Amino acid sequence: MEDLTLVLRRTAKEILEKGEAQMVIGWEKGAFWYSSTSAFISKPEDTERLIWDEYCVNNLAKYLLDYRHKEGKVAVFVKGCDSRALNVLLQDKQLKREKILIIGLACPGMKDEVEARKLGRGSSIPLYKKCRECRYPNALNYDFFIGEDKVIKEIPAQDDFSEVQALESLSPDEKYNKFVANYERCLRCYACRNICPACNCRECIFDRTASGWSSKANNVSENMFFALTRALHVAGRCVGCGECERACPVNIPIMLLNKKIIQDINALFGEYEAGTDVTAKLPLGGFEFTDPEEFM
Amino acid sequence: MLVAQKAKLREILNALSEEYQVAVPVQREGTSAFELYRDGIEVMFNGNTSISPKGMFFPQTEKMYGFKTVKNTTEFVSLPVEQGKRLLFGVRSCDMKSLDCLDQVFLTKGYIDEFYKQKRERTVIVALGCNEPGETCFCASLGLDPQKAAGADVHAYDLGEVIGFEAVTEAGQKVLDLLKNHLREQQFALPPVGEFYLKPEVAGVPEKLKGMFESPLWEEIARKCLNCGACTYVCPTCHCFDISQDVRGEKGIKYRCWDSCMFGEYTQMAGGHNPRPTKKERVRNRFMHKLNYFPERYNMLLCTGCGRCLDVCPVKMDITSIIQQIKEAK
Amino acid sequence: MCACNCDCNHDHDYDHNSVSSTVTSNPLIPMRAKVINIVQETVDTKTFYISTLDGEKPFDPQPGQLGMLSLPDIGEAMFSVTNKGEKHIEMAIKAVGELTNALHEIEVGQEVGIRGPYGNGFPLDYCRGKDLLFIGGGIGLAPVRSLIMHCIRNREDYGKLTVVYGARSKGDLCFKEDLFENWPKVPNMELFITIDKEEEGWDGHVGFVPSYVEELAFKPQVTVLCGPPVMIKFTLPVLQKMGFAEKDIITTLEMRMKCGVGKCGRCNIGSKYVCLDGPVFTMEELKDLPPEY
Repeated sequence: MEDLTLVLRRTAKEILEKGEAQMVIGWEKGAFWYSSTSAFISKPEDTERLIWDEYCVNNLAKYLLDYRHKEGKVAVFVKGCDSRALNVLLQDKQLKREKILIIGLACPGMKDEVEARKLGRGSSIPLYKKCRECRYPNALNYDFFIGEDKVIKEIPAQDDFSEVQALESLSPDEKYNKFVANYERCLRCYACRNICPACNCRECIFDRTASGWSSKANNVSENMFFALTRALHVAGRCVGCGECERACPVNIPIMLLNKKIIQDINALFGEYEAGTDVTAKLPLGGFEFTDPEEFM
Repeated sequence: MLVAQKAKLREILNALSEEYQVAVPVQREGTSAFELYRDGIEVMFNGNTSISPKGMFFPQTEKMYGFKTVKNTTEFVSLPVEQGKRLLFGVRSCDMKSLDCLDQVFLTKGYIDEFYKQKRERTVIVALGCNEPGETCFCASLGLDPQKAAGADVHAYDLGEVIGFEAVTEAGQKVLDLLKNHLREQQFALPPVGEFYLKPEVAGVPEKLKGMFESPLWEEIARKCLNCGACTYVCPTCHCFDISQDVRGEKGIKYRCWDSCMFGEYTQMAGGHNPRPTKKERVRNRFMHKLNYFPERYNMLLCTGCGRCLDVCPVKMDITSIIQQIKEAK
Repeated sequence: MCACNCDCNHDHDYDHNSVSSTVTSNPLIPMRAKVINIVQETVDTKTFYISTLDGEKPFDPQPGQLGMLSLPDIGEAMFSVTNKGEKHIEMAIKAVGELTNALHEIEVGQEVGIRGPYGNGFPLDYCRGKDLLFIGGGIGLAPVRSLIMHCIRNREDYGKLTVVYGARSKGDLCFKEDLFENWPKVPNMELFITIDKEEEGWDGHVGFVPSYVEELAFKPQVTVLCGPPVMIKFTLPVLQKMGFAEKDIITTLEMRMKCGVGKCGRCNIGSKYVCLDGPVFTMEELKDLPPEY
């Protein structure tokens, strides 16, 4: 990956020097050896800050929304999950394709920084669970690709819904207790929402507290109301990048809900993998005359 | 120094529970926080809690008063207030310092916050010294002694197999008197404090910031920020709150709850105007508040070096690097 | 949904220890009060007269100070006290949000919550004996009016009073009774009223406040101005051109507030809190603060 870092820097530098984009969004090193973070580069000489390593977990797609009304193009580096997220933003008509220069990458899976801190430098650091389960590690939609366009990570044969099924097998009381345990610690900091590329509403209902729809009071029922509403709002558009769960400061297994919904959508509307095909119709964003309508 | 075997901590906390409502740091579900002590609960000794103890004094949601509105009448009713002495065991230096900051906010400048004061006054604090700083810690750079927390009633020290205790205040002496049968006198030297990885140089930063409101630095720093409230909610010194109500028919409860300067709605005025409309202004306000506005107003930083914000930030906003960037800015 | 953290199903009935209706040591708990009169100022602005239940003044505000008014089931917001009487205080309120719209629905006799007074108020000592120029735009006259009324009540303590007031239309002028009936009768007081656009039945001045102030070419004196940001923005250079000293230009600011007592955080401009250190600032003071309001 070190070699690729040099290619990545050179690419970014060329883009900026030729004026092909006003800014390049990539990754740079954070405070620790196990932390890499988003970087926003607009001067060719600053491209030296860019890196590509096993900690570039931060999904960059959402940042494009900050620049959608600005003049000129923005270039962005994308892994598989960033690429799927970007596709969803395009499908949601939040972004104009012609305003973005997409540079694709093949992702080996990112290492779990929590484990890295625990285990220490030099030990063998496991991949994030979401990365182990990832079936699309490579960018899917790009203007050009850096490195070799070949899958460099082991791909599971299919999505793993075993945790969802374990949850489904619980009794209603057990399920309830599990949800209470998970959501009573929610701080309602909205990190999950703000990092989520599918959460792209111009104004979120949870920011409209004066309306009385939801309350800022922190208690299990309000917290669950937030969590369930958000899960349903991103239904059919969640690309499974797992950033919500990574962003959560209190370790709530947010993907459990998202996966449950993905599983249900697959069952109800046919297999669908959000963000893998930018031309696809969203399962909950349109209708077919053949749609089931048992409730009518 | 008075000491007790660490293995006897359970007996000590049980003894204290007879006199106080005791809260201790506890690990749970991949996170950690102060919880009410119950016999047998495992006290966390390794590092600081991911959620600061500020909620013990300034809860995330706190009922303030009740009201009743019938036709055109409005009645206000007071709510029962929890009484009794409390004891916090295991508060670290950074979090003790944060109480100093919160005391400034809630107890000075003409108005006293009764909700905070009541909780503060009935709480005795046993601080626990840190020997080995966490990776995101930088309290020493802000002038704190990680082993001896200023403002605590009792200093406790982690001495390996034993815990050492030293009373600092009269209230603290009472705590140790209660534990007379559990403690014995023994000479112990405090172990040296380990090396800090983060060492921001904060000297001169508050003064320099005075002239940096219009600096292009804020736009650059803000680019990463998601404007979520994770940093503000885990921060032991952030104290912004909202006031709202929960209404059920004629009855209601007025409560206050934590709010975050990172949220757009925070300064949004009813007429539509927002003095801090984008993340640049919000990020600037947060760091200016911590490093310049608060020092100007209360003569101390609104940061204690606990490192929680850089620990939880999903995009690794890092106040120590921001301090460095401020120092280097032209 | 219950606002407490317990998440149990028990009924959150509180015991009815009534909070003392006039005095409370907790600055965040309002006192019970009553609306005793409502004046429709414009289509979207009303003035509310508020007394305690025993018909007394809820508190005694200085000109320019603020009060936190609530309909407890809707919300609470900070308003300037536009005038006080022997037994009441007055607040002029424009319907712009959830609470203010609800306030516009209430009738005389409605009980409300009130707490205050908050903020610094106008520098009366500094103004005493001087000629004063008041500049207001729309609802911005409300805080300025508290000082005008104070000067009228203590007429001999102040020099000449001049008011320049503008609104979008004739119908948008607040305090019409003062403007057209009461104030013209006050000795050594002059009024200049303007509306933005020509209108049938209006033979007064037409034009925006900043240019009207320029036209009138006042000699430098102490001026107190309040109005929409755009009015302030364009009037300040005019005043400075006319030679007004920065310490003689006084304005009152507005920010979102929740606690009113400098704790909740949101109304800060730099290290100052508008609720506590403001809302009244001179230009000289504002120059020292970040332009974030």
